Order: sequence, then C-alpha cells, then structure tokens
Amino acid sequence: MDDIGILLQVIFWGLYAGCIYILLATGLNLIFGVMKIVNFAHGEFLMIGAYITATIFFLTGLNPYVIILFSMLALIGIGAVVERLCFRPILGTSKLNEIFLSIGLIYIFQSGAAMIWGDEWQSIKSPYEGITIPLGSLNVPLDYIIIIVVTAGILCALYLFLRKTKTGREMRATSQNRKGAVLVGINVERMDILSFGLGCALAAAAGTLWVVSGQVFNPYMGSIPAVKAFAIIILGGLGSIPGAIIGGLIYGIAENGAAYYLGGVWKDAISFIILIVVLVVRPTGLFGESGE
Amino acid sequence: MINPNRDQLVRAASITTIAIALVAPFLSGSLFLLNLLSLMLIFIIFSSAWNLLAYSGQGSLGHAAFFGIGAYASTMIAVRSGVTPYITIFLGAAVAAFIGILIGLTCVRLKEWFLAMVTFGFAIIVQTITVSILAPVTGGWDGIASPRLLSPDIPGYQLIEYYSILIITIASIIAIWYIMKSRIGLAFLAIRENELEARAAGVDPVRYRLLAFGMSAYLAGVAGALEIHHIGYITPEIFGVDLSFWPVTYVIFGGLCTLAGPIVGTVVLTIIWEGLKMAGLTFARYIIVGILLILVIIFLPKGLVDIPNQLQNWWKKRKKT
Repeated sequence: MDDIGILLQVIFWGLYAGCIYILLATGLNLIFGVMKIVNFAHGEFLMIGAYITATIFFLTGLNPYVIILFSMLALIGIGAVVERLCFRPILGTSKLNEIFLSIGLIYIFQSGAAMIWGDEWQSIKSPYEGITIPLGSLNVPLDYIIIIVVTAGILCALYLFLRKTKTGREMRATSQNRKGAVLVGINVERMDILSFGLGCALAAAAGTLWVVSGQVFNPYMGSIPAVKAFAIIILGGLGSIPGAIIGGLIYGIAENGAAYYLGGVWKDAISFIILIVVLVVRPTGLFGESGE
Repeated sequence: MINPNRDQLVRAASITTIAIALVAPFLSGSLFLLNLLSLMLIFIIFSSAWNLLAYSGQGSLGHAAFFGIGAYASTMIAVRSGVTPYITIFLGAAVAAFIGILIGLTCVRLKEWFLAMVTFGFAIIVQTITVSILAPVTGGWDGIASPRLLSPDIPGYQLIEYYSILIITIASIIAIWYIMKSRIGLAFLAIRENELEARAAGVDPVRYRLLAFGMSAYLAGVAGALEIHHIGYITPEIFGVDLSFWPVTYVIFGGLCTLAGPIVGTVVLTIIWEGLKMAGLTFARYIIVGILLILVIIFLPKGLVDIPNQLQNWWKKRKKT
C-alpha cells in the first residue's frame, strides 16, 4: 500500500477511535452545561458499560449492537444514583471538591468491577469480525462503519431531544441560566439528575462500542479515555457540543497518527501534549469563551 | 473559636507524636512494622508536599511525576557517581524541583480542572518519556536497581534507616510550618482566597505559584527518592495514577490546607488500610476508602483535624438548648 493509502487508513482508524471519545466528551459536556461540574470518574461509566455489554453478550448471545440499549438504560440509573448521593450534596462548594469526590468514585467503581468481574483483561468477538468493505483504495472493517453510523445516530437523537422536546428545552434553559430556569418554574434538580443520567448513558454507549470493536477492557481502563475526553472538551470549549465532536475527531486522528509514526507508547502522551500546547496558547480552549 | 490553651494543646500533641515515632520501633521488634512505619513517614512527606501546593490554591493530580523524577534522578546520580544516597536524595529532589518549575510555568494561568488535567497529563508524559527516549538509561518498563540508603551489611541498618527517614520527615514538616507562617505562606493564602485582591495588595501570583510548584516538587522528590532507596528498585510504575491519587486522598481525609492534615490523614488511612488487609480484603479496601473519602468530603469538608471544632460547636449548641 502506498503512503497515501496508509495515511487514509490512519485517518479512518482515527475516525473510529474518535467516535468513542466524542460520546464520552459529549456526555461530560452535557453534565457540565447543566450542573457546571466535571466528573473525573466519567471513564468508570464507560468501563461499567463495557462490562454490562460483555456480561449480557456472554449470557444471551444477543447482537452486541442491540445491547447498547441495555447498557445505556442501566447507566442512566447508576448515573442518577451517583448524582443524587454524591454530587448533589457538594454542588456549589469549592470546585476542587468535585475532583476529590471523583477520586473516591474511581476507587469504588474500579474495585467494585474488579470484585464482580475480576481484574483480568477481557475481550469479546463481534459477529461481523473479519468482514471488510472495500472503500476506494482501502478495506474498511464493517464494524468500524457500524460504529461510526451508531455514533452519528446517537448524536442526532440527542440533538433532536435537546431541540424538539420540552424536557430538552428545559435542560438547555438550565444550562444557559440556572437562576432564570428556576424563575420560570423549571425543576433544576430534576434536570441535574437527567443530564447526569444521560451523560452516563452516552459513556455506556461508548463502552459498548469499545467492547464491540474488539478492544480489550479491564476495570482500570476507564481513567485514560475519560481524561482524554476531558481534554477534548477543553480543546473544544467547555459546554460546546459541536466543539466536542470536532475535538474528538482531532484527538482520534492525532493519536492514531502518533501511534503509527512515533510508536505505540506515545499514543496516550500525544493527547496531553496537544492539550498542554492548546492551554498554554489559549487557557480557555480553542472555541471556549471566557472560562470563568 | 480559638481556645486560650490551644497552643499548648498543639505543642503537647506534636511532642507526643514525635515521642511515639521515636519509641515505635521498640514497641514491637517486627521488621514488617518498621518497614510499614518507614513508608508511612515517606508518604507523610509526599502528602505534605501536595498539601503545600494546594495551600497556594493549586490542586495537582499528577504529583507522582515529581515523586518519580526525584526517585529516578537520585538513583541515576547515585549509580553514576557512587555518592551515598543520603546526599543524592537532595540532588534528585532539586532536579524534581527544576522540572516542577518548568511544569509550573505552563500551569500558572490555569485553574481548578484545567490545572488538574494538565498535571495529570504531565505524569503520563513523563512516564512515556521514561520508557521511550530515556529507556537506555532508565531500563524502560523493567526498571533498574537503586542503591539502598544503607548497606544491608551494617547491623541494624533498618533501624538507622527508619530514624534517618524520621529526621527528614520532621525537618520537612518544620520547613513547611515555617513557610506557611512566613510572608510566602501569607501570599499563598491570599492567592488562594482571592487572586484579584492579592494582586491589588501587591502580591505577584505568578511568582508565588511558581515558588509553590518548586517547593512542592522538591519535597515530593525527596519523598520519592527516599522510598526508592528504601525499597532498592525503581520502575516506571512510580508515575502511575495510583501514586498521584494517594497524597490527595490522605490530605482530604486529614484536612486540606492544614499542617496536621496530611499527617493525620496518612496515619489514620494507613492504619485502616493495613487493618483491612489483615482482615483479608483486597479490592474491597479501595471501595471502603472511596466511601470514607466521599463521606468525609460531604460531611467533614475540613477533614479529620476539624473534628475537635465540630465537637466543640456541637457541645455549645447543646448547652444553649
């Protein structure tokens, strides 16, 4: 294969890796928009979503792409409980508290998963493994295409929900002006729970796609993608969902490019190098307005 | 509420603590306990270093970077030059401080989550560099042997090691106490509480933030070098997320931005941790620590050191009603 072919391949891998980051980052952004908090433990929801998918898959043998619905539903529930018990009591206190609380959540979820499922690396096989579709000069695995389509579908659904439904409008109103939302009679605490649950469901979808694509997972796999997702929303501007999508794609491609040209160990470091460069130049992110 | 005899209480508590630390090795002859105490002291230095940075309003999630840089630098210097680790600890820490200031330069304009993210990222970048570019000197993922603080041939070397670590710990805490009391500490406090007002009062936030980074990285480097010379082996695992999170956990538990907080937090959590280990728990230990951490954040936002005040307030309220 020629150089351009390899480049296209790298970009396509990046698109697919970007999908997982986009889902994570959009969830974080949704939560940040409404509650103005950042959950560093967001990746643990991805991990739980991955394990739920794998468990249902092993038990029932359902098509993994159908399981995405179950893992999203389960995580809406878990997210709501976490919001109610952990984040609501500290809402409005020092911002550092959220970070510290997330560390506690990370301990609980990682070790809980390790107790239930063991801490070995696992993986499952997609039913479409090995099927590729010729697309111009390169052969693209069918799974990658489905993942990209599913991600686009989820994002469109989210867009319609936020634009067209009453609850979605209430949620956007809360994220624009919390006090104003209270004044017009919106139950902002309900919006908090809902946005947190939805954010977690998006992370669960990312977890399912992670597993389906044949990537390995263990209880500790969540932290790095979560921090990258966080880096993406900084890059794209806090609270901006289009920013999260563009940032996610940039990260996916940059990472795979770095892994290909510099060697696999640089895969994680490169995303932080991008983040640091961006923050040094623009402390509020590429598309962000004033941060505070 | 400041109690009139509060100073005396604090003094008595400090003297008791030091006395217990001095006689602890003789209470039980077990080497296991001695090793545990040594590591606990090292983590007291590490948590205090993290706390010093938090005192200036900067919460880092990547302090393992400085812990590890201090350890690697000290090991390298000791291996290359043959100088005793007693000296290289402080040279290695100086390297950590230098890099800490460089990292600080990129961080001084960032706050809260941004800072947490960038510091977290730096720990991963440092680890990546250690296992890729620097692999020929650092041994890559396999790590390298590090000279022991004292040769195991010396009789009772563990005891001498313990007292050496104890002296360094006490010196570090006294140093932090002086810093907190001094003009520098006041400047840190001012920046933490309100940067704009601090600037109006003539405090240059950038300079003091960098200073905090340098000092905190230095102490973290000392702790890292001590641990590695105590264990005798170093791998890049030292830059792991786990080691970045422990000092945060200890400090939040004990009491953020207080001198005693890191000490109380480290001691109490180490006791709980080892107790749970003896009870045969492995993963459940983390869950328990996580739950305790969240409970402390929600119900005791100032940490365990605040319990006396809380009790006092509760007592007063009870008397009134």
